[in-house]
Amino acid sequence: MKRTSVFLFVMVLGILLTLQPAWSSTQKQAKQKSTHKVTHVKTKPQAKTKATKRSTRAVATRPPLASPPPVAEPILTRDGEAEARLVEIYTLVGHGKTRDALARADKLVIDYPNFQLAQLVHGDLLSSQVRPVRMLGDVPDTVAQAGALTLANLREESQVRLKALRERPPAGTIPSQFVALSPANQHAIAVDASRSRLYLFENSRSGLKLVADYYVSVGKSGIEKTLEGDQRTPLGVYFITSSLDPNSLKEFYGLGALPINYPNPLDIKRGKTGSGIWLHGTPPDQFSRAPRASDGCVVLSNPDLERLLRTVRIRTTPVVIAQHLNWVRPDNVTKESRSFESYLSAWRLAKTGGDAEHVLGFYDPQFKSHDLTLAQWAPTLRKEVSRVRGRKIELKDVSYLRWTDTADTMVVTFGEVIQGMQSGPVKRQFWVRQGQHWKIFFEGVIG
Amino acid sequence: MMLVPTFTSPLQPRSVRQIVRLMALSALMTVSLAHADDYSEVNQLIRSGKLPAALAKADSYLAGKPRDPQMRFLKGVIQTESGKATDAVTTFVKLTEDFPELPEPYNNLAVLYAGQSQFDKARAALEMAIRTNPSYATAHENLGDVYAKLASQSYSKALQLDSNNTAVQPKLALIRDLFSPTVKGTRPATVPVAAAPGTAVAPTKAATPPAAPAPVMAAAVPATAAASAPASPASAKVATAAPTPPAQVVTAVTTVNDKNVEAAVNAWATAWAAKDMTGYLAAYGKDFEPPSKQPRKAWEADRRARIVGKDRISLKLSNLDIQVNGNKATAKFRQEYKADALVVASRKTLELIRSGESWVIVRESTGG
Repeated sequence: MKRTSVFLFVMVLGILLTLQPAWSSTQKQAKQKSTHKVTHVKTKPQAKTKATKRSTRAVATRPPLASPPPVAEPILTRDGEAEARLVEIYTLVGHGKTRDALARADKLVIDYPNFQLAQLVHGDLLSSQVRPVRMLGDVPDTVAQAGALTLANLREESQVRLKALRERPPAGTIPSQFVALSPANQHAIAVDASRSRLYLFENSRSGLKLVADYYVSVGKSGIEKTLEGDQRTPLGVYFITSSLDPNSLKEFYGLGALPINYPNPLDIKRGKTGSGIWLHGTPPDQFSRAPRASDGCVVLSNPDLERLLRTVRIRTTPVVIAQHLNWVRPDNVTKESRSFESYLSAWRLAKTGGDAEHVLGFYDPQFKSHDLTLAQWAPTLRKEVSRVRGRKIELKDVSYLRWTDTADTMVVTFGEVIQGMQSGPVKRQFWVRQGQHWKIFFEGVIG
Repeated sequence: MMLVPTFTSPLQPRSVRQIVRLMALSALMTVSLAHADDYSEVNQLIRSGKLPAALAKADSYLAGKPRDPQMRFLKGVIQTESGKATDAVTTFVKLTEDFPELPEPYNNLAVLYAGQSQFDKARAALEMAIRTNPSYATAHENLGDVYAKLASQSYSKALQLDSNNTAVQPKLALIRDLFSPTVKGTRPATVPVAAAPGTAVAPTKAATPPAAPAPVMAAAVPATAAASAPASPASAKVATAAPTPPAQVVTAVTTVNDKNVEAAVNAWATAWAAKDMTGYLAAYGKDFEPPSKQPRKAWEADRRARIVGKDRISLKLSNLDIQVNGNKATAKFRQEYKADALVVASRKTLELIRSGESWVIVRESTGG
C-alpha cells in the first residue's frame, strides 16, 4: 500500500521535476484587458515623512497557527531558506525517500507554520503513509471543494517555484534591459512575471552578478498595468523611490515596502494611470501569496523582502519588470547600445558648444518634463546652456537601461558635472528611438 | 551452586534491547504465574465497570511491587477509563521510560494524547510503538488514523480552512492488556524469544499450583500452544469434532465447505462495507475471541464506533485462500480497506467454525 502511494507521489513530482526547460521560448501570456475600475484601496503613507507612526497598527492577538510561538516573527530565517527546504523535500520524494521527506516537512511547517504550500506538501506526505497520493494537494473532496481556489493557487505556486529553480538563467548572462550600470548602482532588480520570480543582482567592477532570486506574486489580473485599479503589475524600467517605515504600514504589507516610480515618464506619455506600486512583504498569516494576488504590487515573502530592504538604495536601485526576461551576454548588450552612446555623447558636446537651439534639436516635440511641455521647459535649458559658458561637460556614473516593447526606450541616469565644478545635478533622461535617431522625451533632475 | 537457568539459556539475544525485553518478559512471566489471580481480578473489576475497586486493588498490589509493568499498565487503563487522562498519561509515560521495549504503553499514550487533540504527540508515541515492534497491528491502525488527522490539519492550514469543522476526531483503539493474544504471529521477533524462557521457568513454578493457565501466560505462548490449551472453548470444539471423514468424501465436502466459507467471508465483508452492523456482528460466532481480551460488549461498541462513524467504507478482498479442516476453517486473504480518506491494505486471517449450515468467525487477526 505504501509503495503504491510513494510511487504515485513520485510520479507526480517527477513530472514537475522533469519539466522541459522552456527558458528561451517566449510564450506570451495572453491577458485579456480588464476594465476593472476599482479605487486603489491601499493606505498610502507619505513616503518621505519617516515616522508617521500609526496608532491603528494594532497587531491584535492573532490565533496561533500551530503550537503557539510566543516569540515574535522568526526573523532569524534566511531569505530563500523556506523554498530551498521545500525543494529538498521534493527532491527526497523524487528519490522515493518519503519518510525522510516527511521528517523534513515536519520541521519545515514548525519553522514556517504560515507557509501554505509547505503545509499542503506536509499533508500529502502524511497522507501518503495511509493512502496513495495521486497529485500535489490530494485533499479529500470536501476540502477540495471548500478551498478550490486556494488549492489551485498553491499548485500553481509549486509549479512556478519548481520551474524557476529548474530553469536557471544561463551562467554569465543578464537581463537585456541592463545595458550599462554605473558603479553607483550597487544592486539591480529584475522581475520575470511569467516565472513569478524576482532576481537580485550585485554590481561590481566585474559586472552584474545574480546573487539571489525569489518567488513573487504580481497583480490579480496579471501584468501590463494601464489604469488605476486594474489590479495589474506595470511593465517597464523603474527605480526604488523610498523605503516606507514598517511601523507606518498595515501588517498586511509585512516587514516593509519599497515604492517604485510608476508611472514613469514613458507610462505618463502613454497615458497610464494609477500609483502606489510597491515591492512589499506578506501578512502574518501568509508566508507567500498566490502567483497572482496583489492589486499590482510585487509581493515577496518577508525574509526575502528583508534582504532587499537591507540591500537596495533609494533612487539608484533599478527595478525592471518584464513579462519575460531575455537573458543575454553582457558584451552583446553593449554592442547594441553603441549607436545610442554616440547620440548621448553628441548631446553632451552640443551642450558644451553653447548653442541652445542646437541642443533643443535633441528633444522630441512630444517632450515633457513633469508638467512642462518643451516650449515651457526650453527656458530652463537655455539658462543651463548659457551657464556652461563653453566649459566641458562630463557625465559621471552613467547608467543606461533599455526598455523595448512597441517602442524602443533608453533610460539614462548620470551626474552632469561642468568642468572645474566639484559636483553637479543627477539627471535622468528618457530617450526614444525613431528609426535611426534617438530623441529625448523626458529630462529631470532626480537628486 | 548453579541455580540460575537464565544464564545457561541456549538463546543468544542479538541486542541489548532484546536482552532487556527478554528480562522484562521473563520477570513478568515469573510474577504473572504467581499473581495471575491479581491481574485477572483487576481485569474483572475493570470489565464490570468497578473502576474504583479496580484501582484500589491495583494500588495495593503496586504498594508491594511498585515496578510491576503489567499492574502499572492495568492501572493506566483504569485511569484512562475513569477519565483521569493526566494521571493515565503519567502512568504510561513512566512505563515507557522503565520499559521502553514495550509497545503497548506507547500505544495507549497515543490514545490519550489523541483524546486531548495532541496529535503530534500521539503520532510520536505511535511511531515509537512501531519502532519497538514493527508489526504491531493496533499501533499501525491507530497511526493511520492519526496520520489522516494530521494530514487534514495540514491541509486546513494550507487552504486556510477552519480545521475544527473539517474532520471528525479519530477514535483510536486502547490496548487493555499487555501482551494480548491478537498480536500472536504479528510479533515474529519478540514472541518466540520471550516464550522460551517463559516455558522454561513454568515447570518449576507450576509444580506447586495446579497451573490454571494465566491469561498473560497463554497470551505469550505461540498460537500452537494456545490451541492445545483445554481452556479455549474454540479449540475444544474443534477437538471433539475432529473425526476425519473418509478420504473420498473429503474432496466433495471440502468444495462445498470452501464455497460456504467463502460465502461467509463475503457476507462479512459486504456487511462491513455496508455498515450493516447487525449483519457484520452476526458474522462472528458466540465463541469469537475479541482482540486484546476485550469483553464482547466492549468490542462490539468499538467496532460500531469505528464502522458507523465512517462516511463510506469500501472493502476489497483478494488472494482468498481457504483451508477447511472438518468443522474448522481458515480463510487468508488480502484486504484493501478504504474508509473516507484512509486506505489500509493488509493480510488478514479469519478462523471460522461451522455452525449448522453456515460458518462463523471465531478469530480474526491481521498480518502474517
